[in-house]
Amino acid sequence: MHEYSMTKQMVDIVVASAELNRAKKVCDIYLSIGTFSFLNPEQIRFWFNLLKKESQILVDSKLHIKPKKGLVHCGQCGYKGGIKYEDDPLYHIVFPTLECPKCKSMVTIIEGREFKIESIRAVV
Amino acid sequence: MSKIIKPEEGESFDIELEEDLLKANAKIAEENKSLLKRHKIIAIDIMGSIGSGKTSLIEQIVKKLKNKYAIGVLNGDLTTTIDSDRVRKHGAKVVQINTGKECHLDANLVRKALKELDLDDVNLLLIENVGNLICPAEFPLGSNKRMVIISTTEGPYMVLKHPFIFMDACVVVINKIDLAEAMGVSVEKLKKDALSINPRVKIVKTNCRTGEGVSDVIEALDL
Repeated sequence: MHEYSMTKQMVDIVVASAELNRAKKVCDIYLSIGTFSFLNPEQIRFWFNLLKKESQILVDSKLHIKPKKGLVHCGQCGYKGGIKYEDDPLYHIVFPTLECPKCKSMVTIIEGREFKIESIRAVV
Repeated sequence: MSKIIKPEEGESFDIELEEDLLKANAKIAEENKSLLKRHKIIAIDIMGSIGSGKTSLIEQIVKKLKNKYAIGVLNGDLTTTIDSDRVRKHGAKVVQINTGKECHLDANLVRKALKELDLDDVNLLLIENVGNLICPAEFPLGSNKRMVIISTTEGPYMVLKHPFIFMDACVVVINKIDLAEAMGVSVEKLKKDALSINPRVKIVKTNCRTGEGVSDVIEALDL
């Protein structure tokens, strides 16, 4: 839902660091997006393809998006891994829960909410 | 910050940015949190859909607590001052935050709004987020507690369809319980859904038009 503002911020940061490094063109942008975030990669691409046309540095660049798996940690039994999903047959809905899949205590989310610019590849 | 490998003219090179854009918000949220702590202010972030009863709940809380606390309220909306006008008349110090187009409040907007309040003159801050159950989950503001309000008129699937916002909540308010029967919505099922996503969350049932259950909300927030 807030893909436009996040993509705009991302584009501004990429252009600023390209300029700082005296690059003429950015060829590739590598992003990682957590699976617990609310950012839809398809919408990010859509906004990116519009926004890049406004910048000479970005116009030929390509966006690479790597999904980052969500991780939870259990303070009780030390479980570290994926989140537990429950299936409600009444509604046919599968939903994530903060219950530890091993000991049923409550887990905390430690990874999977990021929207990160990992690196960019540029030409001088 | 950036690791740079110097290239020759015309050669390509990598710039490692490792910049998390959501972390930037989280960092400002932490700063807000310490600012509020320094001024001994308890802050509650209130999230819910449009029409779920966020403003009505805030009005009821202000009415009940205005003699116990000096209350400040930040009202987040895309536009209009309808909500802040509603809350101001109950005697709270109110700042309206109009996001324009944004679907959520972020820590930076809250930081700006806090400058409009005399922080030594407030010890309870209620932050009404923009009416939305999706985006606010991604943007911590620096509050001590996050509360989610849903209402029975939104139908039976509100919790299961928006699990992430319930993961961050300390308190879930189920509002408009007087209309549950007419809507064919089971309040108990909504409660069960919220608990299965977040086993530690406190659940309170209210009718914010009459004030029923508002004391339980106050208790659940330890106010």
